[in-house]
Amino acid sequence: MFKTSRGEEIFIIDGHMHLWDASPDNQANKYGAGFIGCFYDYHRNLSPADYVWEQPLFQKYGADRMVKDVFVQGYVDMGIFQPTYLKDFYKNGFNTTEQNSILKDRYPQRFVLNGSWDPRDGEAGLEYLESLVHRFGIRGVKLYTAEWKGNSRGWKLTDPWATRYLEKCRQLGIKNIHVHKGPTIWPLNKDAFDVADIDEAATAFTDLNFIIEHCGLPRLEDFCWIATQERNVYGGLAVVMPFIHSRPRYFAEVLANLLWWVGADKLLFASDYAIWHPRWIVEKFMAFELPDDVQKEFGVSLTLDVKRKILGENAARIYGIDIDVQKKELAKDAVAAMR
Amino acid sequence: MRRDEIYVQLAQVYDPELDQPLTELGFIGGVSIEGSVVTVRFRLPTFWCAANFAFMMAADIRERVSELPWVERVDVQLQDHFFTEEINSGINGGLTFVETFPSLATDDLHELRETFRVKAFEARQERLLRSLLALGWRDEAILALRIGDLPGLPLDSHGAALAHRYGSILKERGLAGDVTAPAFVHPDGRPIDALEFRAYLARAQRTRLSVEFNASFCRGLLETRYGEGESHILGCSDESASVRHPIRRVLE
Repeated sequence: MFKTSRGEEIFIIDGHMHLWDASPDNQANKYGAGFIGCFYDYHRNLSPADYVWEQPLFQKYGADRMVKDVFVQGYVDMGIFQPTYLKDFYKNGFNTTEQNSILKDRYPQRFVLNGSWDPRDGEAGLEYLESLVHRFGIRGVKLYTAEWKGNSRGWKLTDPWATRYLEKCRQLGIKNIHVHKGPTIWPLNKDAFDVADIDEAATAFTDLNFIIEHCGLPRLEDFCWIATQERNVYGGLAVVMPFIHSRPRYFAEVLANLLWWVGADKLLFASDYAIWHPRWIVEKFMAFELPDDVQKEFGVSLTLDVKRKILGENAARIYGIDIDVQKKELAKDAVAAMR
Repeated sequence: MRRDEIYVQLAQVYDPELDQPLTELGFIGGVSIEGSVVTVRFRLPTFWCAANFAFMMAADIRERVSELPWVERVDVQLQDHFFTEEINSGINGGLTFVETFPSLATDDLHELRETFRVKAFEARQERLLRSLLALGWRDEAILALRIGDLPGLPLDSHGAALAHRYGSILKERGLAGDVTAPAFVHPDGRPIDALEFRAYLARAQRTRLSVEFNASFCRGLLETRYGEGESHILGCSDESASVRHPIRRVLE
């Protein structure tokens, strides 16, 4: 909960967080080392100096640290776990639903636990997805199209098996499909960040919500276009948010574009913890104003109501969370006592 | 000086996605010369940077440096990348992209290159259009400009540089031959209609913003990874580190 100087309370749902283990013991090969090394550079490059961690901590920070950072210091009321399995790079996986479930079990009111699927897992993967629903009651999935698997170097939402998995999601009541476009390698002669497959899937599955993590960056222009065409496409602000510190002007221009093309009701705040700490992002975002020329050019404004939507109300709506009810529940839990 | 000649050649190699020279982006980690053999160390902001763009840049480095008459062999050394071995052996063995990645690539990179040249075209054009609009030019006056008017536009040095950059991509696309032709056209040469001008501009702006946002992110990551303006050379000790070509900030 963030309180403004005038006493208004802002309920915060962090739309993208992880409890990963990228410690050397868990790294399976150079790709595992390279993957967390890349995240660490993101972290060091865009975090304010006071928030930069040493590498060993960044590789494995553990459940207690996460709870303290996110809920005790970071103003966040609830967080959405977005698993990234990467079993070809990490012996026990990087950030699986099972790993994340440790915290969901401990603080059930604080987390939305999402699952994941991979169309290359075929029938067995469909069964696994069903088991995730039965074991954890998942309502959303995080998909990572750039994941390596055996000889495969990525997949697309338009693959026939991906369509079967989307149909399965529909049957199982999984409404929210978070898509992370990483650098897909197959086929290598195509744009590795192409977002066109999202357009097709969103058209075919109008009853599902497609939340495009980091707003399709580095293909923001294509994402804006798709999000304008499709009513069920949302923008996840992971990776976009931290530019508020190092590149506020770019942040303003990008946000103004997103507000104009995608709309204030379809953007979800996310820290991408532990890449970035939510505390400074929330503080800076609450203090942020769009420069006059940007407001004028795009005809959009970043009012308190818009901030409230982005920081929590939009995620609450698509995950069926009643904020007023939830506030009362959270006031009684173990995390509230730590604050 | 031979080293300077090489850097002049390298300044003509562009990151296809960011539309900036590798020398300005800091992607050149160092150059060493032994007789007629040139080694160019080339580095990227992350371990996961797109392999197809990395291959294109490596191929362009080899091609540009090979143009120097005294150069007999160019050894391109991409560093710290998930496809380091594949790309280096492909490029230095003179293989095409498909030959380098027979199981991963279905075609060569012409289509991808063209997609990003179109984006570069739109971004360069939008920057120039925006600077004209900021000076109070009206839409009709802008659309009435001819190719031949571009060099003499009443602009400050920054604006003139934008006009030059736009002019050079017009030329590259074969659109600058007729000086009486409209100066502002679609990437395929079709004139921009006055009615669609604002919508066209808005789309071009998103492209430009995306390119600049990425360029800013990539530069920052490169600095985090290797230190700003510093040549980080793996396994090589030569004099090249003393010649620094600092990362310059343009377009921001």
